[in-house]
Amino acid sequence: MNFRTPRRVALLLAMTAVSVSLVAAACGGDDDDDDAADTATATTTSTAATTTTGTATQVASPITISGVWARATTNDVSAAYMMIKNTGVQDRLVSATADVSPKVQIHEVITEGNTSKMQEIPGGLVIPANASVELKPGGYHIMLMDLPTKKLDVGQKVEIDLVFEKAGKIHVTAEVKQGGGMDMGSGGMSGTGTATSGHGMGTATASATGTAMR
Amino acid sequence: MLRKTLAAALCAVAVLSAAACNSGDDDASDSTDPTASPTTTADRFRGGIVTPPFDKPDIVLTDTDGNPFDLRKETEGELTLLYIGYTHCPDICPTHMLEVADAMEQLGAEDAAKLNVVFITADPARDTPEVMRKWLDHFSTSFIGLTGTEEQINSVHDQLHMAHPTFTDLGDGNYAVSHAALVLAYTEDNVAPLAFPNGFELENWVHDLNKLIDEGWEQ
Repeated sequence: MNFRTPRRVALLLAMTAVSVSLVAAACGGDDDDDDAADTATATTTSTAATTTTGTATQVASPITISGVWARATTNDVSAAYMMIKNTGVQDRLVSATADVSPKVQIHEVITEGNTSKMQEIPGGLVIPANASVELKPGGYHIMLMDLPTKKLDVGQKVEIDLVFEKAGKIHVTAEVKQGGGMDMGSGGMSGTGTATSGHGMGTATASATGTAMR
Repeated sequence: MLRKTLAAALCAVAVLSAAACNSGDDDASDSTDPTASPTTTADRFRGGIVTPPFDKPDIVLTDTDGNPFDLRKETEGELTLLYIGYTHCPDICPTHMLEVADAMEQLGAEDAAKLNVVFITADPARDTPEVMRKWLDHFSTSFIGLTGTEEQINSVHDQLHMAHPTFTDLGDGNYAVSHAALVLAYTEDNVAPLAFPNGFELENWVHDLNKLIDEGWEQ
């Protein structure tokens, strides 16, 4: 098979991008019609919600968070990552706050052709029923902006409150790490669970696509 | 069987076979797969093969000392990784830079010295030479940072057949910038036949950079 033409290269890149985009759209977009209502609900819910801590599995919440870390930085932006496991019905991460940053958003990465961009996920990040969604480098992340300290040092702790539409507010503590392959450990890049859930993020899906192609 | 079934698809994937998916076992499996073709250049690398290769942009930008930097002249004859990103990028850009820095550390100083890493900003409005130097130093003081006018940056993208950067408002003066999804690997002759996608993991970086440095693109 002769694939080596620029047209095919472009096509493949486009296909890869499309598959990523489609999944991102599918994950984030399946009930966009009620985004406004959801956000409003979440705001209300969070005030009355039970707070759980870190990986603790307290009674009510079907949502558990693990592997929370934030990227060390020398400027005023960073990102936080984690695995979100949901043993209940579909939920949605609608907002987050952090002690180190006055401006926090939940972002997705979209790759189109041979360029990538990130943006706030409209309506928040859907956490499908009985599935795990991983926030990891190159995919979903919690962006921390306008850091007044203009840095995050390795070993520092970042306190983050996550607000879910149904589970309410969940507090987690992120350890600041360099973030490269050397200190990611096995947990950091364990995208398997995410990919098999069928509702994984763009990057996990891209990897799965790559596997199939290779 | 799965592998065999997918072999046809693989032919079509010379680009961007994300090695994250290869788990490093392809050498062994290739040699045991009776349907595998003889080892080609493409088979030796886990990154994506780009045909025809990317040309190196013919451009004079500004380095982090504020001096003119003629990309082709300054890097000709040397292995060079080229990436386009921006320093206010919280996720993909620092991930790429860290992985490359970590891989070079594993390669050792002697081999690492044979590789240029060039970071061109897609966000010249914020990325002054000083801002870029501070950001790059977080990864490696050896990384070369280049900025320029918006026209120059657009020209770089044109020459690489990449879309010009787009800007997404994040509110309160913050914005995101679109940027290359690939790190391009230029061989000594100013073309990049190899590119590394997002999610290319450390072990794969080490594998491919090691091969490039020790064996070269053409064996």
